[in-house]
Amino acid sequence: MEKERKTDRREFLKVTLGAFIGGALFSSCSLSDLKNPKTMVKSPIKTNVLRPPGAVPEEHFAQKCIRCGRCGEVCPYHCIKYFDVKTGGVFSGTPYVDVMEKPCYLCMKCVYVCPTGSLVPCAKEEVRMGVAVINRQICVTWQQDKTGLMCKTCFNVCPFSGVAIKIDHDFRPYIIEENCTGCGICAYSCIADTYPENNGKKAISIQPIKWKKIKQIKLEDIKKS
Amino acid sequence: MARKSFFKRITLWRYLFLTACFITVIGNPFANYYWDVNFIQGWFQSIGIGNLWVVSPLEGLESILTAKFFYMPSLVGMVIPVTLAFLMGRVFCSWMCPVEFLSLLTDKVLGLIPKWGNSLKYRKDLVRFAKYTLWFALVAELMVTMVIGYPMFVWWSPPGLVGRETMFYVFYKHVTVEIFIVIFVLLLNLITRRMFCRYFCPLGAILALIGKRRQLVIEYDASKCVGCKICDKRCPMGISPSVGESQSVYCWNCAECVDVCPTSALNFVWRDRGFITLPKGSKQGSAV
Repeated sequence: MEKERKTDRREFLKVTLGAFIGGALFSSCSLSDLKNPKTMVKSPIKTNVLRPPGAVPEEHFAQKCIRCGRCGEVCPYHCIKYFDVKTGGVFSGTPYVDVMEKPCYLCMKCVYVCPTGSLVPCAKEEVRMGVAVINRQICVTWQQDKTGLMCKTCFNVCPFSGVAIKIDHDFRPYIIEENCTGCGICAYSCIADTYPENNGKKAISIQPIKWKKIKQIKLEDIKKS
Repeated sequence: MARKSFFKRITLWRYLFLTACFITVIGNPFANYYWDVNFIQGWFQSIGIGNLWVVSPLEGLESILTAKFFYMPSLVGMVIPVTLAFLMGRVFCSWMCPVEFLSLLTDKVLGLIPKWGNSLKYRKDLVRFAKYTLWFALVAELMVTMVIGYPMFVWWSPPGLVGRETMFYVFYKHVTVEIFIVIFVLLLNLITRRMFCRYFCPLGAILALIGKRRQLVIEYDASKCVGCKICDKRCPMGISPSVGESQSVYCWNCAECVDVCPTSALNFVWRDRGFITLPKGSKQGSAV
């Protein structure tokens, strides 16, 4: 006992130094595991990889989210996935929806369990996960002169068909960007990849958007159109 | 040694409670995935039981510090753990934390080894740091969080990782590299019992800080003590109840010393004097 008391200060200095060196070593070790160190602070949100519905802007999302996983556990379709430290860096543990694997069906359960307000409760129409973009070179209906096909799959599956996706007089679909929720059902069920000339490409992709700009759109505008 | 009867031992109830909490956290992803039972969601970063929300204080604090935004549900969810810590100190660490469950399990498994099982179970600490290290861990954690701008403890906290890795395994059939943090923490236990919990856990530090003037303490009755020092040996936190350290900040109320004391000189009491009073002549270095 007496001996320990004498060396307290020295021990303390050793401990602090050791803790700092150890922490530096530890963090450098985990950093070298990353595929690309640049992805450490760059958001892994990209085309077709989107935040769940009701998410706050991407620059605040990873700061608010405490990675509790409740949104993924409550999702009845199990479409919410999580980044790990290799793909996400500091974004590890945050939820995302890969619409090509499983789109969001807008059941709006996840927004009511988020404890930190990363997912804000909102109505189905107010969801802006992203915006659908139709590649008209690939879409079989837009190339109907070449393909001879008239497909209305995206129009049929869209939860806001006629509002978010409309069809012109040649039965070609087009997106009303203001009303598109970005749920990705159209991209998931697009059949253009089965057409042999397209090499497995889908005609619709969901692009992530800045929430702020789209949020300014009023709900009345959606109902009007 | 007059051993307490089986059901009067508080540690038995602690083991049962730890197991129940562990099963709750581990069983949740299975229930959610296979049977679609969504009554309980999440793990110890934020657990939701029906409409009751519990948010871990450190994670909520980090979220507030980085996002600079107060969100009422998270503040309300922090009420229960903060009240618990305010009244009872670090009972989360000793009675609920899944890492404590796994450490206990490894201790019990080590104790099963014949011949020197008991000496392995209650082994001596090979490395001892100053107890102040806990506070430096908390400050360093919060500083790193604010410098980087993203909450750090939320993705490497071992109690949260236990639940998250289980969920990853159940939902996506793979585990991530972060499981090595849990293994690393459990391997640190081989050097010193509960080394991470004692010195490096920021969550334990903030709970200890909240529970500094806690109500539930272990009282040391010097008149009954026969000086066998068995409580010092059994204490997983490496503090010495026999010199009156049982009421210090670092005690996590696990009741190991209460059960092992042959003369029942140590007992749980609701503190009524209001302040920590260490006996004269004891080591004062523990009271911060």
